[in-house]
Amino acid sequence: MGALRIFWVFAKLGFQNEAAYRANFWIQIFESLLNVGSALAAVSLVFSRTETLAGWGPPELVALLGVYFTVYGAIHIVIAPSLTKFMEDVRQGTLDFVLTKPADAQLLASTSEIRVWKLVDLVLGLGILCYGIAGLRDRVGPLETLGFGVALVAGAATVYAFWMILATFAFWFVRLENVLQIFWSMYQAGRWPVGIYPRWLRISLTVIVPVALAVTVPAEALAGRLTAANLVLACGVAIALLAVSRWFWLRGLRRYSGASA
Amino acid sequence: MSFLRDLYGTFIRISIAIEIQYRASSAIWLMGMVIEPLIYLVVWSAAAEAQGGTVGGYGPRDFAAYYLVLAAVNQITSGWHMWEFQYRVQQGQFAFLLLRPVHPIHGDLAENVAHKLAMQVALLPALGLLALAFQPRAELHAWSLALFVPALVLAFAVRFVFEWALALACFWTTRIMAVNQAYFAVLFFLSGRVAPLALLPDWLRHLADALPFRLMVSFPVELVLGKVSRPDALEGLALQLVWLAAGSAFLALLWPRALRRFSSVGG
Amino acid sequence: MSAAPAISVEGLAKTYVVPVREAGMRAALRSLFRRESRRVTAVDAIQFAVEPGEIVGFLGPNGAGKTTTLKMLSGLLHPTSGGARVLGFVPWEREHAFLRQITLVMGQRNQLVWDIPVADSMERNRAIYRIDAPRFRRVLGELVELLELGPLLERPVRNLSLGERMKCELAVALLHEPQVLFLDEPTIGVDVTMQRRIREFVAAYNRRTGATVLLTSHYMADVEALCRRVIVIHHGRLLFDGLLSALVASFASHKTVSVELGGPAPDLSSYGEVVSRAGERAVLRVPKADTPKVTARLLADLPVVDLVVEDPPIEEVIERVFAGEPAP
Repeated sequence: MGALRIFWVFAKLGFQNEAAYRANFWIQIFESLLNVGSALAAVSLVFSRTETLAGWGPPELVALLGVYFTVYGAIHIVIAPSLTKFMEDVRQGTLDFVLTKPADAQLLASTSEIRVWKLVDLVLGLGILCYGIAGLRDRVGPLETLGFGVALVAGAATVYAFWMILATFAFWFVRLENVLQIFWSMYQAGRWPVGIYPRWLRISLTVIVPVALAVTVPAEALAGRLTAANLVLACGVAIALLAVSRWFWLRGLRRYSGASA
Repeated sequence: MSFLRDLYGTFIRISIAIEIQYRASSAIWLMGMVIEPLIYLVVWSAAAEAQGGTVGGYGPRDFAAYYLVLAAVNQITSGWHMWEFQYRVQQGQFAFLLLRPVHPIHGDLAENVAHKLAMQVALLPALGLLALAFQPRAELHAWSLALFVPALVLAFAVRFVFEWALALACFWTTRIMAVNQAYFAVLFFLSGRVAPLALLPDWLRHLADALPFRLMVSFPVELVLGKVSRPDALEGLALQLVWLAAGSAFLALLWPRALRRFSSVGG
Repeated sequence: MSAAPAISVEGLAKTYVVPVREAGMRAALRSLFRRESRRVTAVDAIQFAVEPGEIVGFLGPNGAGKTTTLKMLSGLLHPTSGGARVLGFVPWEREHAFLRQITLVMGQRNQLVWDIPVADSMERNRAIYRIDAPRFRRVLGELVELLELGPLLERPVRNLSLGERMKCELAVALLHEPQVLFLDEPTIGVDVTMQRRIREFVAAYNRRTGATVLLTSHYMADVEALCRRVIVIHHGRLLFDGLLSALVASFASHKTVSVELGGPAPDLSSYGEVVSRAGERAVLRVPKADTPKVTARLLADLPVVDLVVEDPPIEEVIERVFAGEPAP
């Protein structure tokens, strides 16, 4: 598939670029450990004062953190740097470089930059996830694992679509440099189960910024709390959002190249 | 010093004009600053509910009071120059600052104050709305309200001085992201953001007392919410002055060395 | 005639410490705080003096040390060795009284604030340099007139063209009526008309105020228009310090003739010194006096498609003249 080949080329380039600076690897380890360590310390602090949090126990919360950091790492490897660069290109007017290539512009814009060392975040996330699952061992059966897999894919697709929509705004609002910050501000809330938030915040975290779908729903699957309804909702939202983001992107592209108002 | 008054007046006016141009970005940044205290407000309230009402003497409404005031104090004392300094040097703007017959810290201080003034327009109403939603409860005394103002001003000053010194680290290392992240991690725990300091394990609380971070954010919050006795409040104010003096002395020693580093590696 | 020079430089030298990236884990850990480095000499013991009111051109190719010298003289950098005095001050001590009397303008670098009107940036400088209101109005009025700034003052800097921005940069830099102007490539990137206007402004400003100007450029046109005296610097060393007329005489001795022929270029060494020859194009170096004759011969003898006669680029001239080429 052409798309995969393009992605592989970008990955190799990214790796060669970064491997030249091996110091970046150690810095990345430091930063990731700091990040993950702070999160775990916060959870441990809360559980030093209480046994459960809205019905969630320590291993479930650790699993949640695992999903949180896995998704965090995944976003930071490709999507975040590529779309940040894309928005910069729109601002500088250098997007034409991407548009004149014989491949889908959305694919190119989403995968142009790869930060290989962010794999550390992903790996750490997976490590914590496993640690959490170990604590939940008796409750994680094949059904839960399947639900987890589906929820994770749906969550990842939702996050990607959401990022695409945010980034596509660059076609209209060139000076909104930190629009992607909206996601990160709300994403922090994903460290804790979405059920603890008051209804209005829960709705924001599910509908407006789909943090809950990306992080809590997969974790719920592992904790055996996932309802079929929620899973169907998550998949439905993922598909719908992907469609919307694609449509929005094409609108933005037409506007950029002057084809329509 | 009418020169300084004129200088700050002009700087602040111009910074506010620039702020208005960047209001959308500022709004987004503000949202980020308010979300974190909101999250922990909810987390600790949930913990309190799971424990039958309170945790460490704080019930949900106490946490609401704590975190809403913390959100305001944290925003008011915050700074961003540790992120900007390296960028400024690389883009050549730092050279222009050095050419001026005023110390660059004045411009940054004025810019910081201007930003805070402008942000209150959005911050206070937002916190007001959140207060309606979360129903905070606190004991307010006249004396603690009176002492809150100098405590807040001193907290701002201590934090500004230390963070400006931190920003100078960019002359000694390019790994400024890592350095800043470490700083913010420490701040997260020791300035009362992850939890009210009273809820921290003893060893962390002792650490917090020995370092200036509590005085930068948590102390004014504790003070105004009546969590600090009058003698302790006065002691806290005195400590703030001590740390401010220490920080300023450190900065005065650091600055010429930073200039020499700038000079040796090239402008 | 005032006794002391405005600028005096004695044995001034600057060596940079440049970080070197190395591979390997240990080097990476070390690189956190102590970087491996090598030394680069930017300025190598130069010496000169500038009288008040002079406009001196500081010539040299990129990386010659011009900007580094200006940065030392304006106090931004400490020299590695040697000394200098500007208006009696030691620049790198950065006394406020010194900073108030100088200005440094760097081409393509703005001190103007991007998103707000030019007038606001000027207001800011007024406060910084403690210019009282009547003096500010007078100086601003003069600058607006000399630079034709009228409609530009109320526009945000981001809405100005590069040339307009440069004019405003100059104005803001001169609000405090400095006695010494350091202009580092002020015309770079600006269109030809605006370059001329900026040159005219600098000359007029110097006439009106008697300010000392030290101007760096790698455009010969800037220097020819403004400077009687030039200092040529290359590889950090002073190669020439004297009247422009003397320098011009020594390098205007030759011209560069570039031809494009209708077929492959034959051996053209009988016409002049062949600098390069590739396919249908060739570049010759011809003594100035012979240029009309050689051009006529080329046009008569060969199928010339295009022919261009130019002054040699200054980099090449400096390289050649001071690499030991005998004077013509």
